Amino acid sequence: MRGNPRKGFVLIAMSAAMFLLLAVIGMVFDLGRVYITRNEAQVFTDAASMAAAKQLDGTPQGLSRARTAVAALPNHWNLGTRNFEGVVVDFSADNEHWKPEPDAEELSSLRYARVTAPDNHVDIMFLRAVGGPASLTVPARAVASTKPVRLTQ
Amino acid sequence: MKSRKGHAMIELAVSAAVMVTFLAGTFQFGYTFYVYNQLVNAVGNGARYAAQRTYRAAADPDIERGNQAIRNLVVYGDAQPAPDAAPVIANLKPENVEVRWVLNGDGAPAAVNVAVRGFSVDAAIQAFAFDGRPSVEFPYVGRYAPAESEP
Repeated sequence: MRGNPRKGFVLIAMSAAMFLLLAVIGMVFDLGRVYITRNEAQVFTDAASMAAAKQLDGTPQGLSRARTAVAALPNHWNLGTRNFEGVVVDFSADNEHWKPEPDAEELSSLRYARVTAPDNHVDIMFLRAVGGPASLTVPARAVASTKPVRLTQ
Repeated sequence: MKSRKGHAMIELAVSAAVMVTFLAGTFQFGYTFYVYNQLVNAVGNGARYAAQRTYRAAADPDIERGNQAIRNLVVYGDAQPAPDAAPVIANLKPENVEVRWVLNGDGAPAAVNVAVRGFSVDAAIQAFAFDGRPSVEFPYVGRYAPAESEP
């Protein structure tokens, strides 16, 4: 028994294999969710920016309707289970200078709405065990114009 | 010596069984996540198309034909697919896609909701069913044509 170099080989081999396996599971499970969240957030911001831009009519009421429309959008993330939180709606006249609260004299020139969903933290379960972070943030952003693209068909 | 060799074999057999189970589960979840990601994409594209499309509402069959074009776009990536077109996602059929219009009081569309209904992902070992997920809503920005018929 004593001095046998083979003793414990399976244990060591298995721990090494287990470590690699955890890394693979982490890649599949955690990164899979991260990619899904990225897509869900992008689709949400696309829809939300269109909803906001649709409401802009040069009045203060239009601005508040735009924010309400974004908040009312029922799209979810995390495999369709969680609401988007901390969503930021900005407005612009030139697609360059953005303001969440435009001044009264700018209202009539606003042509673009931009929606940012910055707070989508995906909790990492398996990659943590092999040195990954506790969570990954997957932000998304989209811009829409008040002149929407319409298909002729 | 002999009995120790047997020990190692048994240990290996037990731990290999655990590992194979883990690997199978990993494949299953990985594939399901992959398909779900594709579904999110497809449903998002379909809803965007629906939101920008002309809503022709001369009669109920016109609305239904419009919905069919939207379902085709989700499933085949094409509103008017060729007869032998292959779905973007394996086994997805137009019947698995639900198009729901949110209408204003006057019948004009305000938003469109596109969702997957009763679709199951066959991931070799076990099937995962998706009903009502993924679901995407877009505001309607297209042209409302209450008196026109679908061509």
